[in-house]
Amino acid sequence: MNKQRETTKNHSSRPHTNVAAKLLAYFIRHLQQGIGSLGDLWRTPFTSVMTILVLGISLTLPATLHVFVKNAQSISQQWESASEISLFLKLSTSEKAAENLVKRLSLYPEVASVKYISAKTAMEEFKTTSGFGQALDYLSTNPLPATVLVIPTKHSSQPQAAEELLQKLTNEREVEQGKLDLEWLTRLAAITTLIEDIVVGIALLLCASVVLIIGNTIRLAILNQRDAIAVMKLVGATDSFIQRPFLYAGAWYGVLGGMVAILCVTALVHYFSYSLVALTDLYQSNFSLIGLSGGEMLWLLLFAIVLGLSGSYISVRKHIRAIEPTAE
Amino acid sequence: MIRFNQVNKTYPGGFVALNNVNFSLAAGEMAFLTGHSGAGKSTLLKLMSLMEKPTSGSVHINGVNLSSVSYSQVPFVRRGIGMIFQNHNLLMDRTVFDNVALPLVIEGFGHKETKKRVEAALEKVHLTSKIRCYPHMLSGGEQQRVGIARAIVNKPPILLADEPTGNLDPKLSLEIIKLFEEFNDLGVAVLIATHDLGLIARLKYRTLTLKQGAMINDGLVEGLQGGSDE
Repeated sequence: MNKQRETTKNHSSRPHTNVAAKLLAYFIRHLQQGIGSLGDLWRTPFTSVMTILVLGISLTLPATLHVFVKNAQSISQQWESASEISLFLKLSTSEKAAENLVKRLSLYPEVASVKYISAKTAMEEFKTTSGFGQALDYLSTNPLPATVLVIPTKHSSQPQAAEELLQKLTNEREVEQGKLDLEWLTRLAAITTLIEDIVVGIALLLCASVVLIIGNTIRLAILNQRDAIAVMKLVGATDSFIQRPFLYAGAWYGVLGGMVAILCVTALVHYFSYSLVALTDLYQSNFSLIGLSGGEMLWLLLFAIVLGLSGSYISVRKHIRAIEPTAE
Repeated sequence: MIRFNQVNKTYPGGFVALNNVNFSLAAGEMAFLTGHSGAGKSTLLKLMSLMEKPTSGSVHINGVNLSSVSYSQVPFVRRGIGMIFQNHNLLMDRTVFDNVALPLVIEGFGHKETKKRVEAALEKVHLTSKIRCYPHMLSGGEQQRVGIARAIVNKPPILLADEPTGNLDPKLSLEIIKLFEEFNDLGVAVLIATHDLGLIARLKYRTLTLKQGAMINDGLVEGLQGGSDE
């Protein structure tokens, strides 16, 4: 009894456990609360699954659109780098003059390579690919002009520079007509930009709704714990202590919702790639759909966590402060 | 430890709950607070535990003027008061250990220290064997003692008890009061709000009596019997 009295008499100078132990206890506590919050989600499976699915599906839409834009960009880049200028020579141009032209063109600084297709070769190619086959043999003269395919250097293949090069090339004596297929490239670029803007717009709206939905779920969780929170406040818990498990819950919603989104996007890309393969086969292209990269998955997950956290933070700020203990 | 200085509390609507209340409780002192329902006992306790603010006057707890305490400082003042309630306010989904450990967890004590202190507190209220039980597995008196263990586990200098014997039979009530006496012996200031006049009469402690918000008696039990036997 005497010893007890002495230890208690010391209570006015509060016992100080050493700092390292307190710090360790702090981290362990965070870990416990983090895992505890996951347990809380587990105890309300229906609400949790609904919230996680809403979060996951909401993120799936903008993420899928992002994949779409990414692939569209990679297509247009492929085309842009391969952009070539077709020069159709005058029918009167002799084989010799054409060879001369090819030599001159390859000296242009803007030109990377030049390929000559004689009228004869063009005819043969047309025969095999067009399907008219033997019917073409009845033609008395070859109506096809000789063609020179000019591939500009990387620098000159930008739309503006390519246009200038085209002007220069068509001024050549032997050239009847030059053709640069730029229009559809600019169109594709414009469409891609438009879709990008749509993605951003939709993503913003969906994110706002996700934050609100998580905020509401957390609000219900807080109200469910109203009595416990009041008791904790009475025994001296700070708001930050009380809100911690709810913030962890928000973060968990983010982690799980993000995973759902990643799974959904991967599944969708997989699904689309089948029909895409059929489509690209028609165009004799070996294009294949690029899914989310590892880095992008990480960003998606991080983004989901940020959304979950902000949703619960908004809720926690508002509702935990409002709960005050009463004597009864 | 506790000092009320010309405290008035008027609720919105004009109900006067406390009218010019002056009293102080020194460190290591034990006293009863009594009066009829609606006399202002609850209001007095609410002011001490910062659930409410006085309309005028000042309340000092452990040397802190409560009117100067900001919202974020409230928890730290509350840690200096062990509070015990008639309905014990335990968390029903946590074990006795977790309930008693709560104030220590909140203050960030390490696991070892927490375990040691919780066991010591439960030993004082003779509930060591129930450490792994949930509150609903305990009797009313045992639940009340868990509440007391939680109130004393972080060794606050003040214990406030609101009707701690309200639901208990006389024998259990006396046991609870004996516990308070033990803590008081250890130097803790104890203030027990109760309307159990029989209990007060048997124990000769200072008794504060409230009537319609005014402190009409501040003295020993003999004074009380004449004063409130109406």
